[in-house]
Amino acid sequence: MNISLTLHILGAMLIYLAGTLLLPIGVSIAYADGAALFFVEAAVITLVAGVLLLRGTPPGKEPSVRDGFAIVTFGWTVFALFGALPFWLSGSIPSPLDALFETMSGFTTTGASILTDVEALAPSLLFWRALTHWLGGMGIIVLSLAILPMLGVGGMQLFKAEVPGPTADRLKPRIQDTAKLLWGVYVLLTILQTLLLMAGGMSFLDSVCHAFATMATGGFSTRNASVAAYGSAYIDWVVILFMFLAGVNFSLHYQALRGRLVTFRRNEEFLFYLAITLTATGLLVFFNHGTVYGGLLENLRYSAFQVTSILTTTGFATADYEKWPVITQYLLVSLMFIGGCAGSTGGGMKVARILLLFKHAHVQLYRLIHPRAVRLVKLGSLPVDREVMQAILGFFALFMGVFVVASFLLAACGMDLVSSGAAVIATLSNIGPGLGSVGPVDNYAHIPAFGKGVLVLCMLMGRLELFTVLVLIFPSFWRR
Amino acid sequence: MKILIIGGGQVGFFLCERLSAEGHEVILVDRNPEHLRQVEDRLNVLGVAGNGASAETLEQAGIKGTDIFIAVTDLDEVNILACLLAREYQVPTRVARVKSIEYTGEGAVLSKEKLGIDLLINPEDTVAEEIARISCRSGSFDVAEFVEGQIQFIGYRITPGHPLCDLTLKELGEIRGMYRFVVTAISRGDQTIIPRGDDTIQAGDNIYIFAHQKDLPALQYLLRHEPVPEKRRPRAFILGGNHIGLNVARELEKLRFEVRLVERDLERCEQLAAKLDRAMVIHAEGTDIRTLLEEGVAESEVFIAVTENDETNILSSLLCKQHGTGRALALVNKPELLKLAPSLGIDACVSPRLSAAAAILKYVRRGGVISIAAIEGSNAEVLEFQVKEKSKLAGLPLRSLHFPAGAIIGAIVRQASYEIPSGESTLEPGDRVVVFALPGALARVERFFE
Repeated sequence: MNISLTLHILGAMLIYLAGTLLLPIGVSIAYADGAALFFVEAAVITLVAGVLLLRGTPPGKEPSVRDGFAIVTFGWTVFALFGALPFWLSGSIPSPLDALFETMSGFTTTGASILTDVEALAPSLLFWRALTHWLGGMGIIVLSLAILPMLGVGGMQLFKAEVPGPTADRLKPRIQDTAKLLWGVYVLLTILQTLLLMAGGMSFLDSVCHAFATMATGGFSTRNASVAAYGSAYIDWVVILFMFLAGVNFSLHYQALRGRLVTFRRNEEFLFYLAITLTATGLLVFFNHGTVYGGLLENLRYSAFQVTSILTTTGFATADYEKWPVITQYLLVSLMFIGGCAGSTGGGMKVARILLLFKHAHVQLYRLIHPRAVRLVKLGSLPVDREVMQAILGFFALFMGVFVVASFLLAACGMDLVSSGAAVIATLSNIGPGLGSVGPVDNYAHIPAFGKGVLVLCMLMGRLELFTVLVLIFPSFWRR
Repeated sequence: MKILIIGGGQVGFFLCERLSAEGHEVILVDRNPEHLRQVEDRLNVLGVAGNGASAETLEQAGIKGTDIFIAVTDLDEVNILACLLAREYQVPTRVARVKSIEYTGEGAVLSKEKLGIDLLINPEDTVAEEIARISCRSGSFDVAEFVEGQIQFIGYRITPGHPLCDLTLKELGEIRGMYRFVVTAISRGDQTIIPRGDDTIQAGDNIYIFAHQKDLPALQYLLRHEPVPEKRRPRAFILGGNHIGLNVARELEKLRFEVRLVERDLERCEQLAAKLDRAMVIHAEGTDIRTLLEEGVAESEVFIAVTENDETNILSSLLCKQHGTGRALALVNKPELLKLAPSLGIDACVSPRLSAAAAILKYVRRGGVISIAAIEGSNAEVLEFQVKEKSKLAGLPLRSLHFPAGAIIGAIVRQASYEIPSGESTLEPGDRVVVFALPGALARVERFFE
């Protein structure tokens, strides 16, 4: 791979990051929280590092596929490293590892926090925290709909940002143009949610932060009690709606905005996602009825919120589901593995992969009964390539493997069985809250440093569809 | 009429045979002089050797003053180009055989309107439609529709013990009080006859009846040999995953059949599985009866063999019949085998050639004739006429008209009502009449309605 080209591009990315680090200064001045200086320092350090990298390396040719893996992985890593500067410089998060954990959790739209008291943070730092989500989400949309399909990671070529059919339905031939269209949708939905939240009585800053965290399926809140702090059914339902939308493939949103609502009805992944959401909510309402919640409306509100929050891997909380019946907790844990749709900001294994895995299993069973029958796995009406199916099976194996190894390592740090498993899946699927000692009302502060390091890696790997990161382990990757 | 036919292949030959027999002036253009001579020896047509897409050859063949131009070579491009040339020579009716769905499919860039072709015939499509139509009628083997589908012309095979077996037509007449239909023809061995009152229906006969669409369910109840339990969706096995097989599978999927499509090439199987929704695609040889039995061919309602190989089609149909399949349909290309197959016990044989030729004939002769169907294994035809304004026939009972021998009126449709005719029936201007005619009577029937 071309190291100097990779460094060159990383330098350019850092200069952009320096620009975004200036944004919270406005908030700092408006609230007079005295944190403006730390952002200036952080921006300057980032800028200098960026310029040094850019100047020190010659501008190269187009990056190759192999460079792509390195650029994506290290891009996310340096963002987390430099993005952590304001937290560390301001002393709000004294430990560098904790600051990295918090920022990585932000940029990977996870929402797992090591902060015990969020409300103690300066407003500009809260804004920066939410902004890391939003920027991460922006990166993810382009990554999952344009870049990863090109790299052919984990069967993602299936979800390239284009609707199969006549060429008129394609988005745009160039990644830059596709990205602009999809970001337009993203920005539009964020503005809409901000306005709706403000209409519910939330302050402007809180509305913006929550809209950022929702659209990116992040989960950082500005309150210790998360969305529950507002105690408003209206706000809950607005957040439920937008969490659900954020978990949908953004190219579908784009088609819908152009007036083609049928694409929703024709998209098998979306229909399956809708079915999972409705079924899980129905089951939760059923099992919570009479045990936790008496009233149906209240029951529905809390059940639907936890389901969409976990399924879309947002990780907001309005209820301590650890106090719910075990069966509902089990259902929520199952949802943690699924995640959002491909091409959304949601994490996890992705609805489409789960759907295809089930279809593949069904075909295997079918072949046992009809050994001579030829049957293909189809998504919509189109057959899925054998390579894509194999990539998905490989992804599944790898996901499970990483889950087992990482939870083993956490258990080795002395965490209990439920907490170590839950912490890993909550970070690997980029959700945030898990179960046990990392439940919806707890945080990740108590985990030993080694465990935090493992979880930081889990967040990065889960966000970048495993392969992108793990391919860097191969020695042959680094050879020319 | 002067008719120019390009291409002396199977369809071309069949058209020459039919059209020249009806007294038309037929000129055949073919590249192969040897082949042309053979045709000239057997049929009363004029042969011109040369390329059908060349203006020079066409002029030689006398394209000026031609009434009907039919291009049926094996090459789509030649047929289309020939038709374009014919348009320049102001030939009023132009027909082309085109296999590629580029031209015949929905939303084709170059549609037949743009190409200036009046009728585009795709033999594989017409035969697939025909197979699907036959498949959904139980017990029947040859179906054609007239007067926009109101009048159905259906062939039934009479098996020993069939309810109609050993009945005379007169006895059948008594049943007709309840069931309105006409037995227009009985084909027995090589012969096709128009039965009279004292003729008896015998086991092994094929009978051809006319009935109105509305009466079909009741009729099928009467004609059904054994009542079939209708517990599940009817199952259809299709052998051969070519274009025809795929089309039939699609049509039958629409008709709510449980379709199983057998193809021997694995790669083609995958393509088929990609194109079909519910149908099961099975990778097997057609004669691999054990696999077919495991997949339930014995319990299936219909077996359809459409591979390129006539012998495979016939043999596999027979094998399946032997193992208990309800009905077997075979695609047969060779005309010699077409006559043989029914006597072996195959329920129906279809030929792309006959289907295409029938469709072309139907179109070409639409003067007074509205639609026609050719009957397998015999030269008899079913024609639809319209009684002209101020026709001399109007108002008189049929018995007093001298209707040609060797032909019979099957149904009269008058606006919304219809009549199964007797000697007392009368014709009115504007009536649409469906007539069954033996080959010798064709010309006379046409003259009768002039």
